[in-house]
Amino acid sequence: MSIPAYILEQGNGTASLEEFKEVEQRVYREARLLDDEVYEDWFDMMTEDIHYFMPGIETRYRKDKTDQLNDTSRMAYYNDNKEEIKKRLARLDTGTAWSEDPSTRYCHLITNVEVETTNNPDEYLVYSNFLVYRNRVERDEDTLIGSRKDIWRREEGVLKLARRRIVLKQSVLISKNLNVYF
Amino acid sequence: MTLQSRQGPRPDYSKYMDLEEGWVDRRIFAEQAIFEQEMYQIFARCWIFLAHETQIPKPGDFITTYMGEDKVIVARQKDMSIKAFLNSCPHRGNRVCFADQGNTRRFVCNYHGWSFDTEGNLQGMHEEYCYEEGDIDKSQWGLKQVAQLDTYKGLVFATFDETAPSLEHYLGDFRWYLDALLDNEEGGTEFIGGCIKSVIGANWKFGVENFIGDAYHAGWTHDSGCRAMNDGNPFPPVDMQNSFHASVNGHGWEFGMEGVGDIFLLGRPRVMEYYNDIRPKMAERLGEARSKIFGSVASASIFPNVSFLPGIHTFRTWNPKGPWELELKTWVIVNKNMPDEIKDDITKGVMCTFGPGGAFEMDDGENWENCTKVNRGVVTRHEKLHYRCGISRQIDHPDFPGTIYRGQYNDSNQRLFYQRWADMMNAPSWSDVPTRYASKLNGRATRDIPSMKVA
Repeated sequence: MSIPAYILEQGNGTASLEEFKEVEQRVYREARLLDDEVYEDWFDMMTEDIHYFMPGIETRYRKDKTDQLNDTSRMAYYNDNKEEIKKRLARLDTGTAWSEDPSTRYCHLITNVEVETTNNPDEYLVYSNFLVYRNRVERDEDTLIGSRKDIWRREEGVLKLARRRIVLKQSVLISKNLNVYF
Repeated sequence: MTLQSRQGPRPDYSKYMDLEEGWVDRRIFAEQAIFEQEMYQIFARCWIFLAHETQIPKPGDFITTYMGEDKVIVARQKDMSIKAFLNSCPHRGNRVCFADQGNTRRFVCNYHGWSFDTEGNLQGMHEEYCYEEGDIDKSQWGLKQVAQLDTYKGLVFATFDETAPSLEHYLGDFRWYLDALLDNEEGGTEFIGGCIKSVIGANWKFGVENFIGDAYHAGWTHDSGCRAMNDGNPFPPVDMQNSFHASVNGHGWEFGMEGVGDIFLLGRPRVMEYYNDIRPKMAERLGEARSKIFGSVASASIFPNVSFLPGIHTFRTWNPKGPWELELKTWVIVNKNMPDEIKDDITKGVMCTFGPGGAFEMDDGENWENCTKVNRGVVTRHEKLHYRCGISRQIDHPDFPGTIYRGQYNDSNQRLFYQRWADMMNAPSWSDVPTRYASKLNGRATRDIPSMKVA
């Protein structure tokens, strides 16, 4: 079993309104970059030590203590460092990613944003929910809904995504693939 | 009276293909009536993969899955044996287990509280006093058991047909190949925790036939994935002289002999080093040939709906959900004795390549969905599909069991998969199912004869 510390982290206070606005705008900007497939800029919004994690969730009884949300040694849709994200994105630049042409139409709706301060003055703990709508070709359509727990870190004055755990609320992914980031 | 014989007259399914000419009729991917017969003739009779033994190590451990469209529970017993039974209460049919996996002492129906032990026996029910003497014989109303259950080197299979041949016979000489995956190192294999499931709007056979022998699509469909994972490099050229298709009664494995291609595609240098280190031992254990088959550019399927990529370590089942949809269940299979960091590396590698978000898998679903949807048109579905590639390249190989064709780009494993499909669809009973290859193992254990010659 392997559980990264940040997933267990709790905030130590609510961010100021000014801090909240700054983080919230950053999160919305990130969503727009994903909608518009501006992956280079999205990639640059992440710290070098990014951990981008989306566990696979099974249906389990309440008494079952298997830590499906946090154990990184289990199967995960994404369990990536920056190099691995770069490789995934490199597929789009090959010109032969057939299932991306014609392009997919994306819309990321981000809601329920909460910003908390942490013991590190440069880091914020950020909770949010997402609804990602995806439509392709004629009537291929997916609605992916879930929650995120992030760490955003200020580096040289710029807020960057340092950690993200994504929990998709489907145990069977009701879709043929995941050509989408959250 | 068997389940199958209740169905009345069936058409001759051989007419849906001509494997001498090399074509298959598209209706087998499109029509509901054919799908229904597949459920009776294939999924209710063949040995179906249920679980890896390591998923249910302790008494009370269970996993739920499907045999065809039938829901089943697979449970480890106190005496460490494994039982499997329908996940359906004999009272009104409700499911008695709602979890994918877990540990329990009993399965209890939510509807009227009928309660079953881990063997599937009816133990009791809510307000049991309402049943008068003679209303119910509890010993007769347990959860319906599979007819036979057996394991092969960690893989648990079952069949609902008591007349089915033994699992050993069903897998036949394919066990020689399976050992390259399941027995290439002391300790055998295990599944990594978790199971990723996804829904593809495709006929189940498109997944199976792709893995059974479609090396051909890889260089085109997955060009982007290969370049992304390997610093811009495309698939290496295929050695058509030294690569093969092997088919054993509808099970199939296509492979090269270079030992590294699939491991390379995983994109994990440490895993490559690991296998380079153990390869001499693997050769001692399984013989030179199998130590090079494992890890090569290869893919395989077990009839009817299990597939895997040896060397990439994805293991999966294509579960039919009507003719136009499948539920894909995927696991990561590793050697039990690997160090944890190698297991983690493999798990990450699999999900970067052959998870739903993997650089390779991503482009498959769209192909199969559109093969399925487009074939539904009434004019379209009466057209043939071409399966003739490499039809003249059958060889007699001195070592390899099964029906062997030379050249990895070949439709032969797919043709022989559909041969088996038609055999199963047509045969009224198991004794009518023909054996389509000459066995070389002849009952011998697969590891005892690493440098196997013709018997």
